Amino acid sequence: MATYTAPLRDLRFVYEELFDAEEITALEAYRDATPDLVSAIYEEGAKLCQNELFPLNRSGDEEGCHFENGNVRTPEGFRSAYAAYVDGGWGGLNCAPEFGGQGMPHSVNIALEEMLCSANLSFSTYPGLTRGVYRALRVFGSEAIKQLYLPRLVSGKWSGTMCLTEPHCGTDLGLLRTRAEPTKQDNYRITGTKIFITAGEHDLTENIVHLVLARLPDSPKGIKGISLFLVPKFMPNEQGEPGVRNSVTCASIEHKMGIKASATCVMNLQEATGWLVGQPHRGMQAMFTMMNDARLGVGMQGLGIAEIAYQAAGAYAKERLQGRSITGTKQPDKPADPLIVHPDIRRILLTMRSFTEGARALTCWVARNLDFRDKAETEEARQAADDFVQVMTPIVKAFLTDYGFEVTNMGLQVHGGHGYIRETGVEQYVRDARITQIYEGANGIQALDLVGRKMPAHTGRYLRSFFHPVQRWIEEQSTNTELQPFVLSISKAFGRLQLATGHIAQAGLRNPDEGGAAASEYLRLFGLVALGYLWARMAQISIEKQGGDDNAFYAAKIVTARFFMERVLPQTGSLFAAIMSGSSTMMEFPDETF
Amino acid sequence: MHRWRPGYRHGHGGDLKLPAIERVAVIGAGVMGAGIAAQVANAGLPVSLLDIVPDGANRRNVIAENAIQRMLKTNPAPLMHTKNAKRITPGNIEDDLSVTADCDLIIEAVVENLEIKQDLYRRVEMNRKKNSIVTSNTSTIPLSHLIAEMPASFAHDFAITHFFNPPRYMRLLELVAGPQTRLEVIETLRDFGDRALGKTVVECKDTPGFIANRIGILWMESAVRFAIEDGFTVEEADAIVGRPMGIPKTGIFGLMDLVGIDLQPHVQRSMLALLPDKDLYRDLYQPSELVDQMIAEGYTGRKGKGGFYRLNRAGGKKVKEALDLETMTYRATIKPDLESIAAGKKGLRALVEHPDRGGQYAWRVLSHTLSYAAALVPDIADNVHAVDEAMRNGYAWKSGPFEMIDQLGPAWFANRLDQSNLEIPPLLSAVGNQTFYRTDDNNRLQFFGTDSTYHNVERPNGVLLLADIKRSTKRVDGNRSASIWDIGDGVMCLECHTKMNALDAGVFEIIGKAIQQIPVKGFHALIIYNEGDNFSVGVNLGLALFAANIAAWTEITKTVQQGQKIYKALKYAPFPVIAAPSGMALGGGCELLLHCDAVQAHAETYAGLVEVGVGLVPAWGGCKELLHRWSQHCEHPKGPMPAVTKVFETIGTAVVAKSAQEAKTYLFLQPDDGITMNRDRLLADAKERALALAENYSAPEKPEFHLPGQTGEVALTMAVDDLYRTGKATAHDVVVGKALAHVLSGGNTDMTETLSEDQVLGLERKAIVNLMKTTATLARMEHMLETGKPLRN
Repeated sequence: MATYTAPLRDLRFVYEELFDAEEITALEAYRDATPDLVSAIYEEGAKLCQNELFPLNRSGDEEGCHFENGNVRTPEGFRSAYAAYVDGGWGGLNCAPEFGGQGMPHSVNIALEEMLCSANLSFSTYPGLTRGVYRALRVFGSEAIKQLYLPRLVSGKWSGTMCLTEPHCGTDLGLLRTRAEPTKQDNYRITGTKIFITAGEHDLTENIVHLVLARLPDSPKGIKGISLFLVPKFMPNEQGEPGVRNSVTCASIEHKMGIKASATCVMNLQEATGWLVGQPHRGMQAMFTMMNDARLGVGMQGLGIAEIAYQAAGAYAKERLQGRSITGTKQPDKPADPLIVHPDIRRILLTMRSFTEGARALTCWVARNLDFRDKAETEEARQAADDFVQVMTPIVKAFLTDYGFEVTNMGLQVHGGHGYIRETGVEQYVRDARITQIYEGANGIQALDLVGRKMPAHTGRYLRSFFHPVQRWIEEQSTNTELQPFVLSISKAFGRLQLATGHIAQAGLRNPDEGGAAASEYLRLFGLVALGYLWARMAQISIEKQGGDDNAFYAAKIVTARFFMERVLPQTGSLFAAIMSGSSTMMEFPDETF
Repeated sequence: MHRWRPGYRHGHGGDLKLPAIERVAVIGAGVMGAGIAAQVANAGLPVSLLDIVPDGANRRNVIAENAIQRMLKTNPAPLMHTKNAKRITPGNIEDDLSVTADCDLIIEAVVENLEIKQDLYRRVEMNRKKNSIVTSNTSTIPLSHLIAEMPASFAHDFAITHFFNPPRYMRLLELVAGPQTRLEVIETLRDFGDRALGKTVVECKDTPGFIANRIGILWMESAVRFAIEDGFTVEEADAIVGRPMGIPKTGIFGLMDLVGIDLQPHVQRSMLALLPDKDLYRDLYQPSELVDQMIAEGYTGRKGKGGFYRLNRAGGKKVKEALDLETMTYRATIKPDLESIAAGKKGLRALVEHPDRGGQYAWRVLSHTLSYAAALVPDIADNVHAVDEAMRNGYAWKSGPFEMIDQLGPAWFANRLDQSNLEIPPLLSAVGNQTFYRTDDNNRLQFFGTDSTYHNVERPNGVLLLADIKRSTKRVDGNRSASIWDIGDGVMCLECHTKMNALDAGVFEIIGKAIQQIPVKGFHALIIYNEGDNFSVGVNLGLALFAANIAAWTEITKTVQQGQKIYKALKYAPFPVIAAPSGMALGGGCELLLHCDAVQAHAETYAGLVEVGVGLVPAWGGCKELLHRWSQHCEHPKGPMPAVTKVFETIGTAVVAKSAQEAKTYLFLQPDDGITMNRDRLLADAKERALALAENYSAPEKPEFHLPGQTGEVALTMAVDDLYRTGKATAHDVVVGKALAHVLSGGNTDMTETLSEDQVLGLERKAIVNLMKTTATLARMEHMLETGKPLRN
């Protein structure tokens, strides 16, 4: 029987030990987020995920969603699980208290997000987009909209969606056709078709709030002519209860490779009533606020799904008896040794583990900067934090989902043939993980965002928020003899990242195709260096603390850190070589020969 | 002080020495007269400035005296150095016309009134010495009217010298001679205007508005009229008729604000009074109620309550506002959103062919302006090249009208004129499928003459242009950033051609190559020179900031070291290195000057070590060289501190010298460095200097430094702290100031120790890299790149 155990010890480690929790509690808004309280929150969250959500993961996949007369019925058990989620107040964990939220930091909330994604990725998509809608309305919504919608979204009574994609336009939103006609009542009639709308229709909440991109009649062409509208499924009546049904309806749901329990809807809007959010023609600005949040959220999915895949593979490798160790029998009392005796199995498992623990540290680092971005006292500190979030968002999204998918695949490999059949449940992780590389901006787009937008912004200022602390740490630790193997490895990899960055910035200026050709490998190089830096720091802390109460934990950390440095980080060498080779091969190849 | 020496005229029967102009009088101390007198003083000549005695004045020279005082405060300054004001002697025309007896040149710049001018001429005629020259700065009165009823002796010595405002900065001098004017007078004026005053002298026919204003006024009329007809905002119009046409970004409405809107009706009236009956201007001209109303209400431009733009200072903030031409009210400026503006970056043709309203407007303005210019040759000038020179230098257009027609394609232009029902001028028909300019088989530049054959563009004697050399020879070596050229007589020229001529690794690579190749290939000297707007604005700040943002400290240290090494190599090369700057020579560009054996500077050179503005200190030897110069400066008493303090003030306040003359005050230039008034003569003068130095050349000795060390550092640091306490310095000014103090005091040295050049360079290097590690310095660099202004953090 498959189980999920939330990695509470490691979550606490990153929150309290790797990073300084006191820097968070020093912020007025987060002074309650003490390690003790946070630990209790983690435990409660773990219970929900382990006991309510994980058991529905496999059954939800088998059953899928049902489309009946324009309504979507979620799989058996989802309604009561969602009720438990709402009852626990989980939807508003990091939302503002003035709208009924718990006011916890982002750096605490991401632990819950990870657990949700590990336990049941499909389920996580229902509340998942509500957070993005919450943030977009908080920043760009009128006061009336905020008062009416935010408390209901925060509580989880209502849920949210992002309606961007249309049949003919996905990545290129400039082609968008959905139109909005102003009415005399200060609102708009919106008409068009939206596809791939996650949680566009379902039976978990009493109302659904769609944020829809559409064009006003006088709009300029392209991306500069798009506005954002709020379109509720039911128009709120004077008491704020769901009233008249709006003409936004679900036409069908998609049949997909994975996340089958998540309803992916085709939505029709036929003169549906909507309200403008933000300024006319400035919809993309508001959308990006939401999208950046959503991109970090998808990165969390990559981590969450990798974690459950690792847990399953680790358990299987220890219990599955097959063959004997190549250095002699290890368990003579058993008919065969467990898989775990084989170096290659151990290599796979450590590759998986060094990723999940490294990625957990990275996401916490980014989430802390969300906290500083929102609540730091000086403008300078808020800006520095925002710079960091800007540059790390595409990396979290793409690196964690690409690598996360690979990890699920590695987990399947450990299971051998049993992984390929449905019974063990691990092929579901592979299928579920696959979408994370695609939605919220395919990973190739993330790489272009990193190289084309984030890298040159303010002549490299965003990069400073990563490069300076890393460089400083390397300099500071250059005399720490015990740490030398780690310092040498990371400083070599970091040097490659610096050189590649300088190279792409200059080459890309002359020829944008150079930047485009290098982008994906550069993003991976960046991600590996970020993890390498965090592993070096985790090793530093663990070396200091080993031999104490929790020796096994720290000892494991040190070895995993060494594994990452020796077996994973050297990939930066081949990525560097590939980046420096330039774009000529791919750009010279004749189109028609492909 | 440099002095203008008369040149030689190459005429029939050998060289004729022209009479010297050693003393000048300017009569009329308005903005133009005073500005002309200032430029004469800038050229090193004594000049009398005379005006009337106002009724009831107790100081009889009050007008001229006030004009001189005003000029000392004007920005941009008419005087290249405040001490030049001493060369201007104020006077009045009642008591002092007798001074004209000692003058070789008398320039009249009084009010545009024929009677007043002629009355003055008659009085001058009684006083002036034989063979002296009299000129008028009139812009509207024909020469024929001015000399009517004047004696032949006057007419022989008379010409029009038409300067543009401001006389120091606008390079055009229109020269109009009458049928009786002596050839020697014309030649003398041409030579004086060219060499002494640094002007591009263009000979014009005696027609209304001469060349530049004749065409310029029609351009303005069409730009305003079509903008209003087509419902353009002032920002839109300026964005079309400005940069995309190679015209300063003030465009049309910004230009009117600058020159004064109230000037318009005067100019229009005088043109209408003088122009031939069938002139295109008469068709275009419409009296503008809008302009009349603005003038009536005092909205005359920058000098008045505002113009088409104004800076609204209400609420403590400066907000740039524009006049809404429909409602006649001010509103915040709106960035124009016309696709044609971007399309215009691809060229003039792309601009006028763009289908949007901006493209149509551009075509309407250009079609009228360019066809008008083409119809006026040879009536107003002998050839198309004179017209182009006048518009480039008088109105600061990047290309003259005929160069613009060439960019459009003359045949295409004629065809499109035809389609637009505009007349095709005969000269345009004559050029047909050819172009107005071409290069001949020897790569010499030629223009299309009114005789339908091509003629060489002749440069004045002694003018050497790199542009001509580049047309006819191949570069010796080079890369994307810099090139080296053989400019003859064993002299090599290094040309930087990056954006703003910023210095990068590419430039250094080519400097290195030049140093290597000069002895090997039989050259004797190196000149560093380019024909861009600026000599060099210093290091490529963007590259430096990016490198700092990714913490590439090793790379940055290497770049600093490389610069130090290459500048040192220039200094100690076994051949003379001469810099010939014009425009800005800032930061690393100024440090380059400091390492050369000699500088031949264009008078309009703006040098300074401005690093502190971006939170840095000079680190390519700038501190070192300036310290050395001041310690050698004999005016200073012994002991190291005076020199250190002087350099600390100069670098610490980021002083920029506003002229080559001023640069000598700060020792950015040495006392014996040369100054060339005319930009076009700079390379030739530098070459002459280089060849002179190449004889028996030996490289300079290595300097030794005796610096005060900590005691000096403490003194400077206290001064910085004081400035901070009194609010004159910001927090980061203190950080940068202390870093600079450490370098200039010699670090941990004391007066008894001797520091080598390399040790001082080491201090510079360490200081700059440490500063780049501070967030405040990086914020300064970023702010400068994004806004062009220093950040005071």
